[in-house]
Amino acid sequence: MTTATGPSALHTVNLVKIYQTGGLPVHAVRGIDLLVEPGEFVAIMGPSGSGKSTLVHMLGGLDTRTSGEIWVDGKRADTLNESAWAILRRQKIGFVFQFFNLVDNMTVADNVELPALLGGAPAKHARERRQYLLGELGLTDKADAAPAQLSGGEQQRVALARALANQPQVLLADEPTGNLDSRNTRDVLRLIGEVHRQGQTIVMVTHDARVAGLADRVVTLLDGQIVDDGLMAPVRRRPKSGAGDVVELHG
Amino acid sequence: MSHSTTVAEIRWVRADLRARRAQGLLTVLAVAGIVTALITAATLLEDGTNPWRGLFVRGNGAHVWIHTKDAPDPAALRSLDGVTDVAGPYRSAPATLAQGGKKTPVALQEMAAVLPAVGRPLVREGRWLDPGSPDGVVVERSFARATGLRPGGAFTVIGLNGATHSLNVVGLAESGDQGFYPEWAPGLAWTLEGTLDQVEPALGRSESVTGLRLADPDDTSLIVQRTITKLAGQVQRVSTWREVQASMELDNRLLGVLLGLFGVAGLVAAALAIANATGGRVLSQQRDIATLKSLGFTRRQVVRMLLAEHGTLGLAGIALGVLCGRLITVYALAETVVVPLSSAPLLAIAFGTVLVVLVAIWLPAWRGGRTPPIPAAPVAPPRGHLSRMARLALLVRLPPALVLGARDAFTRRLPALLTTFGLAIPMMMITIGLGCWATLDDFERHPEQVGQAAALTVRPGSLTSGVANTALADPDVVAAYPGTEADALVPGQTRTVRTRAIGTITDPYPFTVVEGRSYHERGEAVAGQGLLDLLNVRIGDRTRLTIGGTPLIVRIVGRVLEPEQDGEVLSVPLDNLAPKDALPPRFYGLVLRQGADPAAVRARLQAQSLEVSQVVNPADRLSVIRVIIIALVGVLALLGLGNLLTASALGLRDHALDLAVLKAMGLTPRQVMATLVTGTGLLAVIGVGAGAVAGALVSSGLIDLQGAASGIGAGIGRSPAPATLLLAVLTVVGAALLVALIPARRAARARIPVTPR
Repeated sequence: MTTATGPSALHTVNLVKIYQTGGLPVHAVRGIDLLVEPGEFVAIMGPSGSGKSTLVHMLGGLDTRTSGEIWVDGKRADTLNESAWAILRRQKIGFVFQFFNLVDNMTVADNVELPALLGGAPAKHARERRQYLLGELGLTDKADAAPAQLSGGEQQRVALARALANQPQVLLADEPTGNLDSRNTRDVLRLIGEVHRQGQTIVMVTHDARVAGLADRVVTLLDGQIVDDGLMAPVRRRPKSGAGDVVELHG
Repeated sequence: MSHSTTVAEIRWVRADLRARRAQGLLTVLAVAGIVTALITAATLLEDGTNPWRGLFVRGNGAHVWIHTKDAPDPAALRSLDGVTDVAGPYRSAPATLAQGGKKTPVALQEMAAVLPAVGRPLVREGRWLDPGSPDGVVVERSFARATGLRPGGAFTVIGLNGATHSLNVVGLAESGDQGFYPEWAPGLAWTLEGTLDQVEPALGRSESVTGLRLADPDDTSLIVQRTITKLAGQVQRVSTWREVQASMELDNRLLGVLLGLFGVAGLVAAALAIANATGGRVLSQQRDIATLKSLGFTRRQVVRMLLAEHGTLGLAGIALGVLCGRLITVYALAETVVVPLSSAPLLAIAFGTVLVVLVAIWLPAWRGGRTPPIPAAPVAPPRGHLSRMARLALLVRLPPALVLGARDAFTRRLPALLTTFGLAIPMMMITIGLGCWATLDDFERHPEQVGQAAALTVRPGSLTSGVANTALADPDVVAAYPGTEADALVPGQTRTVRTRAIGTITDPYPFTVVEGRSYHERGEAVAGQGLLDLLNVRIGDRTRLTIGGTPLIVRIVGRVLEPEQDGEVLSVPLDNLAPKDALPPRFYGLVLRQGADPAAVRARLQAQSLEVSQVVNPADRLSVIRVIIIALVGVLALLGLGNLLTASALGLRDHALDLAVLKAMGLTPRQVMATLVTGTGLLAVIGVGAGAVAGALVSSGLIDLQGAASGIGAGIGRSPAPATLLLAVLTVVGAALLVALIPARRAARARIPVTPR
């Protein structure tokens, strides 16, 4: 799926997800058409159970769709198998979760280097990238700490660094501030905003209107359907340098 | 797969191993324990059943011994192709050992005070010959045992010229160059050259013994031929290592079957323990695995990482076990075991365990690979299935902790099953081990029930008549059955079978008949399982044999327990044989009063110039089984412990959130603890109970099966005594509850934060 300016970052056509729980089908997502342009920051809002998280999980291939199409960076992805999705994720998609989900047994440094190594970067490059990202996020002195020793805000910043380690086309965030206090929320949002200003495409699930206010565009879901899709501000196109550029952060 | 992807995998594996050192160590130890026990048991078995191998290796034995009239030229023998070294020639002379009134033939062989490089006797007690005490002799150990000689004792020999010489036993030695006494007669004693010259001054009455060590033992017969040619006509007799080995070998089929059974069961238990530990670990790191998958790890990568991690632990355990097994045989068992296990069984054990370990971790690793990649997905256990029962239990006012714990025990069905089986199998094996123990005890206490009614055998020897009466005069001798043994030819068989004629129709020998009946008239016979299998006959069949040219047709009317000759023995009443074969009886089987000491009776009868030998109890030969049982019970206990720790860790993890809720509901820490202990303990009780019952049910049948395989025949198996079994069950259950108590206590006291996992 392409637009006049090139392939869209994400595109879904009539996306449907039906869970089978106890024999009763539950329609979590019912026919969503969503187009996310490169460099766009989309916030997905909606009450609990409206299908926000399911949608984002399907966009990243964490969950399978029941029907419909998913296109990532101009290529059809919904027909991929689990392994192909995994490889697509390591190259093009970064995830940030509500509960940080750092690997507890590994140090902060290893957590951030893992996706880069997985993506095939030499150990030296992975280390340099990690040093750069942790430096930008103000976590250089925590590199050798265990995740459990960090505060929630720090853990989420590490998770953000990990998601950005491979310079993904799309950053998918599922309630990234849902488990943080207001100060840490502010810090993390400021970082996400800065990443976005560098041209990063972001899709963020939130139920906090203030958080959504940071986005270019807010999509509201209710009972698995889009009920509102509004621009907050003119869509900024990414710089001409194109996808995969080094994301510059100034913390 | 690129290089850096591997780096990523290795980093995760390393981090995970570092985070759970204690658990990893337990896995390594459990595997190492099993491997060590298997190697130790196999070494003991190999050594116990084939003592020749160890003696030969330690003593640097000679493969061929040549007996000649005159001393051959050692240089000429050494120059033979394939001969690497020569022992001797040593002078050897026949003499008679006089003990009280009893005279035993003995071969005196000269040997230097400095032990030779080839064909070295191994001193086991006392010391070797010393020029300082020229009247010292060193006696071959099996001969010394049979004749009751000890270091420091007198050794009175009578030379062929009739002169008596008083020598002293200075030591006992073993040798791989001659078989054990009395199978290999005459008995052997080593003396210094000068001493031998005194006892037998005439060179013409002695012979020369020369040993050849060969480059390749397989060339033995070829080199024997060449030597005979080379020494043209001088060779009187040749013995080879094959004959010595064959004469020393014990029946090892029963032991082999037992060891195999324990080994396989131990491996199965180890596999369950590893599968349970790996499975528990994978369950408890589901969130991490989901996170890794969300980062882009594929299913195959996850499986590979889990296999690498848990496989490394297993392989480390195997390596450690092989090392420990070797160290134990070299240091701890240096006195009992002569050489370490040969490479074939060692490799079989190592590769067998590698295979078992890999299979055991494959399933949990595969399940781990199928973890959905959504780390936020709830990892709470599935719903409990005991709600109706739980309600009933609460109605009858069972303590709530018990009800909750019982419900928790089965919420995860596969781990619950693995834990139960993981405990049931070791317990079953422990019970079978106790059954083997009871069977051995029974062999020793009631040899008459395993076909050894006669504890002593008297051979007339020098006496020609009145043997039976002399023996019966002893207060402890109840009966004396005349008997004779002959090798019978079986039509269609290339080999002979042992036919034992013992007892008479009017006074039958008290066989342990387990099927059919004993003989009542001429033409009837009873047989051991081994013979029935060999001839492929059943009870009621007629069979035709030839003894000393006389045909003998008998009907087999019963099966008896037959501990000798692998059970390949046919027993008939003495009346059945032709008088020329039957009379006079070659021996008398003496049945002793219940509780009499065979050794004491034997000593008394020996003092009356009777040649008496004690029947070897099968339990004596099988005593190595007891060592195996103890070692394996230890390892099985370790495996059970590993299983329990996994189960209680999993229980804690599953209920970390519930615990907070339970406390909020008003359960005291003690009740919380009881809930957790019940959850693990219930599985332990079920597993241990089921294992004990299964073990008790199968043990005597299984031992009978082994008995049948070894030729003794079914009917020897005993179940462990109920009291023993109950004690074992209570001990294990108590230990299990104690193991479950420690983590439960800690968890019940800890503050549990209500945070998502």
